[in-house]
Amino acid sequence: MRLIRGFGWTMIWAGGLIFAFLAYQLWGTGLITAKAQREAAQDLDQIFEESVAELEAAGLPVAPEPEAPAFAEPVLYPEPVPSSSSPFARIQIPAANVDHIVFEGVERDDLKKGPGHMPWTPLPGQPGNAVISGHRTTYEAPFYDLDLLEAGDPITVQTATGSHRYTVREILIVEPSDVWVTEDREGAWLTLTTCHPKASARQRLVVVAELVDGPNHAFVYGPSDDVEAG
Amino acid sequence: MVKRLYNALPGPTGVRIALVVVLVVVALIALAFLFERAGDFIDNGGVIR
Repeated sequence: MRLIRGFGWTMIWAGGLIFAFLAYQLWGTGLITAKAQREAAQDLDQIFEESVAELEAAGLPVAPEPEAPAFAEPVLYPEPVPSSSSPFARIQIPAANVDHIVFEGVERDDLKKGPGHMPWTPLPGQPGNAVISGHRTTYEAPFYDLDLLEAGDPITVQTATGSHRYTVREILIVEPSDVWVTEDREGAWLTLTTCHPKASARQRLVVVAELVDGPNHAFVYGPSDDVEAG
Repeated sequence: MVKRLYNALPGPTGVRIALVVVLVVVALIALAFLFERAGDFIDNGGVIR
């Protein structure tokens, strides 16, 4: 009788712990991210303004307004390197229900706040391969629906330099150690990585997108190249 | 069981209550740490490295 009662209590405690764990992962973590995203969204415009002021102070070119006449010679508009763990961009993917502020860094604490940019890769909108990682199941699951994307779907990343529009080219499933997907590329690319399948960190879902419009598009691909058609 | 554990604590009531508070805080911190590490099996942020 005593044994059965002990077993019963163990099961009740184990059940309570599992319930608490799932509640924390699926709901509690989302509260942490929602708070960080809310605060970052309020600060983003000011961060953009400060970045532009930083560029001007350094004598670097600042991207013109979209309606301004284009330069005869394409210019590379640089992006100030954001400080670690700070918000610096906004990513919008309508087909995957993504609209999140992006933070600098992919450490545990960075990804709690939202999608994070790998600091050792170029910034979005710059030549090369910019990599952004994000949670799929916990912490508000910013990349939950990334598997809904198809080739041709648009991705927009807004930074201090302007709005950079990408088009999805490829969707891959790889192993967590397949670092080749983060390696640099010719042109201007955006690589998104998240866990796969949902609720498991066993593999990675990777979305590869190419820059098709934005301040640096002409510099990277030349003024007359129609990348979208390619 | 909780009552039995409380009774097993040493000292007068004040000390016992203080000990309970400390133990609960330590347990919650340990649980949060454990939950966070265990959460990596569900979703670790999708970083490739």
